[in-house]
Amino acid sequence: MSTVQTAAPVALRWVGALAAALVIFSILLMTKGANPIDAYQGMWQSTFQRSRSIEEIFIQMSPLVLGALAVAVPARAGLTNVGGEGQIIIGAVAACGMFLLLGDGASGGLILVAMLVASVVAGALWAGLAAALRLVAGVNEAISTLLLNFVALDVLLFLIYQPWRESPVGQPATRELVDVAKLPVISGTKVHIGIVVAVVMVVVVHLLINRTRWGFRISVAGGNSEAARRSGLKVSMLVLSALMIGGALAGLAGMIHFAGVEYKLRPGFGSQLGYTSFLACWMARHQPFPILVAAFVFASLSVAGDSLQLDSGLPAASVNVLTALILIAVLGFTTMRKKANA
Amino acid sequence: MSLIVDVLSGGVRGGTSIMYAALGETVSERSGVINLGTEGSMLVGALGAYAIGVETGSPWLGAIAGAVCGGLLSLLHAYLVVYRGASQFASGLSLLFLALGLTSLFGAAYVGQPVVGFDQWDVPLLSSIPFVGEILFQQDPLLYLSFAMVPLVWFVLFKTRIGLLVRTAGERADSLTVHGYDVRVMRTGAVTFGGMLAGLGGAHLSTAYANAWFENMVSGRGFIAVALVIFAVWSPSRVMAGAYLFGCAIALGPALQARGYEINQFLLDAVPFVLTLVVLTVLGKRTLSSSPAELKRVFENAPPSG
Repeated sequence: MSTVQTAAPVALRWVGALAAALVIFSILLMTKGANPIDAYQGMWQSTFQRSRSIEEIFIQMSPLVLGALAVAVPARAGLTNVGGEGQIIIGAVAACGMFLLLGDGASGGLILVAMLVASVVAGALWAGLAAALRLVAGVNEAISTLLLNFVALDVLLFLIYQPWRESPVGQPATRELVDVAKLPVISGTKVHIGIVVAVVMVVVVHLLINRTRWGFRISVAGGNSEAARRSGLKVSMLVLSALMIGGALAGLAGMIHFAGVEYKLRPGFGSQLGYTSFLACWMARHQPFPILVAAFVFASLSVAGDSLQLDSGLPAASVNVLTALILIAVLGFTTMRKKANA
Repeated sequence: MSLIVDVLSGGVRGGTSIMYAALGETVSERSGVINLGTEGSMLVGALGAYAIGVETGSPWLGAIAGAVCGGLLSLLHAYLVVYRGASQFASGLSLLFLALGLTSLFGAAYVGQPVVGFDQWDVPLLSSIPFVGEILFQQDPLLYLSFAMVPLVWFVLFKTRIGLLVRTAGERADSLTVHGYDVRVMRTGAVTFGGMLAGLGGAHLSTAYANAWFENMVSGRGFIAVALVIFAVWSPSRVMAGAYLFGCAIALGPALQARGYEINQFLLDAVPFVLTLVVLTVLGKRTLSSSPAELKRVFENAPPSG
């Protein structure tokens, strides 16, 4: 953003925008006969004052952080990765496939490592497909990654409805991951180590894009590809690597969601995780450390949704309204309008 | 009924909601705005139509309500991206979440409620034409309306002054400004109109196709519509053909299964998406060059002009 902003009005804008989001949601709650004060109080209490809920926030946060980083890295190179949804699914599919391939005979450690490698490679290749289409045929990556989401979803459904289906009756799903290969939890909690991985990757991505030569180059290529080309940078390699690293991070998110939360593939696996991550990344303005905050907020809201269902008797998905209002407030009302955008 | 008639008539019926939404998205993208919230507009349209249908007993009032709901949601998208400079992708996805939440909040009351939907109404004479009649003219009235909508949208976009202004907003926004027009108004109008059509698509889904309301019932059709517009290279007639193609791919699996064939539906479902990618690859830079210029700037993360 080129507009110079002083700190105070920006803080005021944030407060005002968020307050407006809360007020609008209150009005909606009142039309459904719920008392907004009670609802907010209930959401706050059951989200932040119960250790189970706080653990749940950290569990839900991990794939969101990784999914958002998967948007942030390509964004640095001027690329729009809307394909987190599909890359997450493909990462989980690869992880599950690895588990099914190795079977029960393998040790837990071996399965975990194999799943990790497979998911990262699969995510990278899935995103690499979009990069290749861009480089070879000039297909825009925002379009191709979006389309590939649906192909990934169909791949997932195909596998769990037939070749990988455990039982021909009941809900279609794969076998459950063996206990030894499930992600270990942080001692004394129910939180699996995915959150540690996520935080480490935030630091790694921060260093990668801000402190390395490669990070500098992709930002040059993202800012002005013509200038980058003239100064001798291989823009095509930069595009390819940035998108593939993004895909690898999303693939990792899929593996963590699989081995840490779901343990089996089923219809609706990881649904909307990719899109939520995309929005978390936007809310964080594509910066690694703010992504942690944004993912925390999104995960908290999702946990709060369950409280809304339990305490106020409203569908859990209604909390999406609050999430969206906050997003709209942040996207539309916390920054000055771009000058160029009349 | 033969298999082919089954698949084609099912494809036309199932493709209609996608076609309405994709037609709307064509208008929106022609003005230079991509709307990933199309999925959301379809959702609120589906619920709006269903709710008004249940309350009034009139499916036509329901369809109007669906269009209004879809239009309102897209109006918000237009405001955010046109007047507040928000990212088009992020804003569209936010509105999808808004729609998911709103329809979950207000839709719970309508789950399982019976509605007077659009019944099949055979067009006299035309419906008795063998083959063609069975496919196209033994359907519901809201579907027949879509037959008129395609040429109408084409005519307005390409043969009228307002269409020219909308397309110019998508191609050469600065030249509109030079001639004293407000680009923002053009885009807001186009995006809102697009949302109204998406809402009609949602209405077709809930009150003609499924005759039911359930949470997240659009399940990706809005995204398919966005993909379809690109597949169709921003042309209304190709949108129509593409929508029926997508619809047939969806209808083929159940039709085969009903005849005892073992078939995995999901491979068929993937075909249209893979096909779109193939078309984009083959057309390559030609697709991009035929895309509205202002839209290209959105994809390339360049600041919009005008």
